[in-house]
Amino acid sequence: MEVSTLTNVAFWGASAMTLGFALIVVTQRDVFRAAIALAGSFLGVGILYFVLSAEFVGVVQILVYVGAISVLMAFAVMFIQDVTLGSRPVKGRLVGAAVAVLILAAVAFTAVNTDWATMDDITDPVAIAALTEGYVEIGTGDDATVAITAPEGTTQLVVENGGVLVDSTGALGVLLIREYVLAFEIIGLLLVATLIGGLLLMRNPGPDSEAAAEEKADADAEAAGSEASV
Amino acid sequence: MTIENVLLVSAALFALGAYGVVSRSSLITVIMSLELMFNGVVIAAVAFSRFTPSAALLSNDPITAEAIRSALTGHAFAIFIISVAAGEAALAFALVFAMFRARESIEITDASAMKH
Repeated sequence: MEVSTLTNVAFWGASAMTLGFALIVVTQRDVFRAAIALAGSFLGVGILYFVLSAEFVGVVQILVYVGAISVLMAFAVMFIQDVTLGSRPVKGRLVGAAVAVLILAAVAFTAVNTDWATMDDITDPVAIAALTEGYVEIGTGDDATVAITAPEGTTQLVVENGGVLVDSTGALGVLLIREYVLAFEIIGLLLVATLIGGLLLMRNPGPDSEAAAEEKADADAEAAGSEASV
Repeated sequence: MTIENVLLVSAALFALGAYGVVSRSSLITVIMSLELMFNGVVIAAVAFSRFTPSAALLSNDPITAEAIRSALTGHAFAIFIISVAAGEAALAFALVFAMFRARESIEITDASAMKH
């Protein structure tokens, strides 16, 4: 399925942005600059999702990665990074580069040499119409049937949309709370566990901790000393 | 833009992230590279959703609403991976803070023991 020139330009532009900033992230010595470049790379990936007709995923990418994780990285750098030290390359990096190139070669070989099924393989006119012109569901659960909202027999829209589901956001919402409802709930549980774990790790050392005990011992010794001098 | 192109970009991002994980000395940069790897995987999931039809759409059975929605399985995977990655990033930074508190350093070579 051919895509328009504009889509191609957007795709290659977003790809160049993503990979260029990613290269800066893994080569930059200054960790704060790496964090800024990381935000740029995430933004490029977000644009890629829009180009790939995944609008909701693109919005989530920008909200979660560009909005939240990048800020988290920047805060972490400001709190703890020794700026003068930076992020030096380590000794085994040539081996790492070799492994990375091997991974790239293996995936590239597989991607190019596999005969992928395409959207053109769909022959059912109802499926094509539902994907490209929108559909409505009648009934619920296993009895649900599909009705096509636009008249059948028009092939023009099929070519333009390239087999992409129109209005993917609504259908994705239904997918998440029907087919994947268990995973959806488990993700909620996971996030709560993450929250509690983060709080546990980040909390101030309590009165029973080693540092506090040491401080208390010092204070006691001092008090004893001053008593003795009296 | 074909599925091969998108998969190549995804693989390149994953490989760059993998290189970053093993080649940098600061734990923060290592976590950044991990996030790049996550992103590479999600691009692949979305690309498959965009370019390849699901088995339910190719079969000769009557098309159901479920079959239509199965075209978006890759998007659902993307959402789940992003959620897990966000939780992972938050927890990873909590661990880095804990290590910094204990050792006054976040060099990867100082993290060679599980207990201090």
